[in-house]
Amino acid sequence: MRLTVHLLSRLFAGLVLAVFVLAPASLGAQENAAAGTGRTPSPEIVAEQRGKITAFAAEADRLEGRMRGNLDDDAVLVEVRNALEGMTRDLIASGVAFRPRLAAINGRLDEIGPARGADEPPEPPALSEERQSLIAEKAEINALLGEAETISLRANRLIEEIARVRRELFANTLSRRYDISAAVSPAVLKDFAAEAGKVRNSVSSWLRFVVSYKLRWVLLATFFALLAAGVLLFGGRRLFGDMLLADPAKPEPSYLNRLSVAFWSTFLPSAALAVFLAATWFFYSYYGVLRRDIGEMMVTLFNVIAIVFFVYRLSSAVFSPDLPNWRLVPMRTGAARALFWLVCTTALVMGIDSVASKVNQVTGSPLSLTVAKSFFATIAIGLLVIVIALIRPWADEAGRPRRWHPLFRLLLFALGGGTVLAALLGYIGLARFISQQIVVTGAILATMYLGYLSASAISEVGAFGRTSFGRALDRRFHFDEATADQLGLALSMCITLLVLAVGIPLILLQWGFQWGDIRAWAYNLAHEVRVGSISISLVGIASGILIFLLGYFGTRGFQRWLDGKVMARGRVDAGVRNSISTAVGYAGIALAALVGISAAGLNLSNLALVAGALSLGIGFGLQNIVNNFVSGLILLAERPFKVGDWIVAGGVEGNVRKISVRATEIETFRRQTVILPNSELINAAVGNWTLRNRLGRVDIPVNVAVESDPRHVHAVLLEIVNAQQGILKNPAPSVDFSGFADGALNFVVRAVVPDITGTLAFTNEMRFRIVERFREEGILLPAAPPRPAPAKPAGA
Amino acid sequence: MNKTILATCLAMAVATPAFAATVINLDDTAHTLVVTEGGSQLDVPVGAGETVEICPSGCFVTLPNGDRAALTGTERLEIKDGRGRVF
Repeated sequence: MRLTVHLLSRLFAGLVLAVFVLAPASLGAQENAAAGTGRTPSPEIVAEQRGKITAFAAEADRLEGRMRGNLDDDAVLVEVRNALEGMTRDLIASGVAFRPRLAAINGRLDEIGPARGADEPPEPPALSEERQSLIAEKAEINALLGEAETISLRANRLIEEIARVRRELFANTLSRRYDISAAVSPAVLKDFAAEAGKVRNSVSSWLRFVVSYKLRWVLLATFFALLAAGVLLFGGRRLFGDMLLADPAKPEPSYLNRLSVAFWSTFLPSAALAVFLAATWFFYSYYGVLRRDIGEMMVTLFNVIAIVFFVYRLSSAVFSPDLPNWRLVPMRTGAARALFWLVCTTALVMGIDSVASKVNQVTGSPLSLTVAKSFFATIAIGLLVIVIALIRPWADEAGRPRRWHPLFRLLLFALGGGTVLAALLGYIGLARFISQQIVVTGAILATMYLGYLSASAISEVGAFGRTSFGRALDRRFHFDEATADQLGLALSMCITLLVLAVGIPLILLQWGFQWGDIRAWAYNLAHEVRVGSISISLVGIASGILIFLLGYFGTRGFQRWLDGKVMARGRVDAGVRNSISTAVGYAGIALAALVGISAAGLNLSNLALVAGALSLGIGFGLQNIVNNFVSGLILLAERPFKVGDWIVAGGVEGNVRKISVRATEIETFRRQTVILPNSELINAAVGNWTLRNRLGRVDIPVNVAVESDPRHVHAVLLEIVNAQQGILKNPAPSVDFSGFADGALNFVVRAVVPDITGTLAFTNEMRFRIVERFREEGILLPAAPPRPAPAKPAGA
Repeated sequence: MNKTILATCLAMAVATPAFAATVINLDDTAHTLVVTEGGSQLDVPVGAGETVEICPSGCFVTLPNGDRAALTGTERLEIKDGRGRVF
């Protein structure tokens, strides 16, 4: 089981790697294929593209004319701009199409060679003709490319001008002041009645038409639409069952639980409704049921219904007026209920305003009616926002209601008040803009805030492990607590980034920035942030870090492979293996660091100035470290001792456990690890008991009483040691009569043992035997020296 | 197995596609290219042996010897002996 998992994961990794390496390559190949027109680029390309480029020039003229004729129609301007952008892309594609032919011409010209000089043998006329024709063709292509360039320049300048005109239009809309006295006069009511009559006539005539001729199709279309929506709704309920409904019995649902219920209970019904409406519209227009004006009104109506329903479901999930435990934001129940109704009403008012605008546009109603409608809608929204600001949503410790954060309150008052004021003063365009922005940007910001809350809920300790996704991963991979927590943290960071990456462009887009602008900013931010003369590239730094990590893991893997497979099989000495793999490790990491730094694009020349100034101090401070480092390298190369040797250095005796680049770890016999800096091991004498072999001489000093017979003692000792097992006969053991110190006769028994690291048993046994033999032979060990007399107390 | 997955993710992240066209000057002298990008025409100097990145979103380039080329932002343009070759 484990084997297959291991194998599968390697296979998967290999596949993914292959995909990602081949994909850009194949994309590149695809592009080149698309750019080229076949195996042998033919001269027809010139004629083909000439026709296209002429067409582009004509198209540019037409679009410019259209633009100049519609300088106050924003929708037409957007259309023209899109057409121009498409044309610039086509122009470049046209230019790229010449590339293979140009390459072929250049190649052939290189083959033919330059024109022969006057003093060189003449070439066949066919060759010089060919050269002439090739040069002429190249000149033609260059001319066409120049034309394409000019048209592209012109189109881009037109695009810039359109942007400028649109900005001016927008500014004018905001600053235009209408006469609202006309809006609140009784004449408006008459206009409204007339308008309503027109709409009623239009709709009823359409209904009559449908009932008489298209009833069957309408029923069929409605049936299909209901089917599609029903599938989505019931299928979703079956699949996600308990995630859809908030269980009122559950006392303390976790935040993630609440979030997932909120998400599904918002998404699924809204999606089902959206599918139903979209399918209805699609089938109606497919069967030709719709009339042009009814169709436009229906589209807007359906959009509004979908959006208002979505806001209704979202607010009921977020505020959860009936089930306080499931609320996503901890509010007082009364405030939650009020906010729920206020938000839904705001969305409803915006929706009605939107539908009414469309109806006005389609039926061509008078200006006074449009102004009146906008006037009342914006004032309504402004008042609603002010009421929202007045609510006291939080409860403090004593349970008393508390207001919004003061800055937030201020913002809401400013926005609401500003809308009402602008409307009252007649700046209807400005009021409409502010109210629209409040609702849309507010909705996006609220959603982003929920996303951020969910990210912080996941990043809490242990929260990720409790989710069903986390549990599934745990069953599969068996993470421990710490890893699961780190995964949760990483996931929450990803969610936050995703929220920002989706939300901010959305807000910018609907403020009127172009998608191309946003993309250009994102590209600049990622690639080059200029601060003065320093240029930081986030992508560069990230790729530098990634390359370093790649190099680091690669080095470790290579080290393991080298040690385990190559050197172990080759029966290389353990010390040499350690040296080589350590050296390989350091070299690999240094290389990875260098490559990573250069990939990050860091300019190290600025650092060099600073380093130069500090070099003196750094040099002095790092003296010892560098000393140790170089000593470590020498140790690795020269190997005066290896791992496992018993050495005596720096007053410490023990077995070598690890040789690092700065210090060596020695484990004493009392299991204490002493870390000796390498400089001590190089600059001072080091004793190694096991450098060449494990032989060693054991010296056992024996003192006997002065009265003993030395020759007898010597013979006994020699007999004992010769009878001992486990010593070498060559060099033969010996007994030295070494002196007369300490009021006794000093002997030293010397024997060479094969393994100096395991002599305890031998020396113990030797000493036992010596004592036993001495007792047998009656040889006395020296008496204890007399104790010094205790000092006489003074006065006694 | 964690290491394998980690290594795969790293490799994926490193294999990002190019973002802009690269111009490499293989000569010993500096050259100046006339780059028409968007609505502007700029002179872009490329020193000897230097590599510059230009036009992430397509442009027309006029090479030192008068030849023209259209780039989409994913190519490599090598200048040798004043002549350019696009890869």
